[in-house]
Amino acid sequence: MLKPVIILASSLLATEALAQTEIVGNVDSKCIIISETPGVYGNPNPYQLTTTPTDGGVQPIIRYDVLAADYYKAVIEHPIDFSSAPTLDDVVNWTGDVEVSEMSDTNMADYDTNKVEYNNTHEYEMTVAGSTWFKISSLADYGFAKSFPAGTYTAVVEAECIPL
Amino acid sequence: MKYLVLLLLFASGYASAHELTPTYPKLRSSYLEDVLQTNLKMWNARGDVKYYKIEVTDENWNDVPFITDEKTFKLEHFEHRNIEIFLPSDTTATYICTKSLLEKGSAQKSIVSSKVCSKIK
Repeated sequence: MLKPVIILASSLLATEALAQTEIVGNVDSKCIIISETPGVYGNPNPYQLTTTPTDGGVQPIIRYDVLAADYYKAVIEHPIDFSSAPTLDDVVNWTGDVEVSEMSDTNMADYDTNKVEYNNTHEYEMTVAGSTWFKISSLADYGFAKSFPAGTYTAVVEAECIPL
Repeated sequence: MKYLVLLLLFASGYASAHELTPTYPKLRSSYLEDVLQTNLKMWNARGDVKYYKIEVTDENWNDVPFITDEKTFKLEHFEHRNIEIFLPSDTTATYICTKSLLEKGSAQKSIVSSKVCSKIK
């Protein structure tokens, strides 16, 4: 007789406990760097390596995802030297640029206007939460229209996410 | 709708991502006298990178002394790593960063090196 009562009481207590279960979540600021497209150098002229698509290159694309506005700055450096290359006995003249190519929020439209640029560095304050795609261009001219030696050339794009 | 798009973006882009949390780690006392410690968590979703390096710098990006298990470590694709950093109590450390280390490739390409930092406030 007592057994069903105990079971019922236990069941009610369990239901009560379940009803009081809380779900707690914290939203932290977070920055994620995603390398979406690795770049490729095209070789339209013997003395030139370029990421320009019409010259056979591929522009690297990096995506930054930030979960909260005004917490981070994106710092992107286009290459100014090769990380690996055949021995070069002349000067390589580097040019490059970084620009926003896509955005998840139209309020990011002025990122390029507001960026701080020095040397080969481009700094963007991430003032809007969401995703921003950055497209990097790079051009290497060897000597005075001198042919690059045959071999493999690799350059590195540095992408940093720095908390403010 | 905006958040749905964001959610989809975050969910879909993990094929080559690099993440370090928390953004603002707190320093706390360790089990050693005059030594502070903090813990971070790193996630490697970059399929093209397996090695990372920890850097600790002051506000002017000068290196400062710190102790951790491995300053350069291997982290497989989609793996997490808990990072424990020990610092002297008078440290000027401001930034703790993890930087991807790239292996020499064999293609004519421009590789992306990623560096994500946390800031001690």
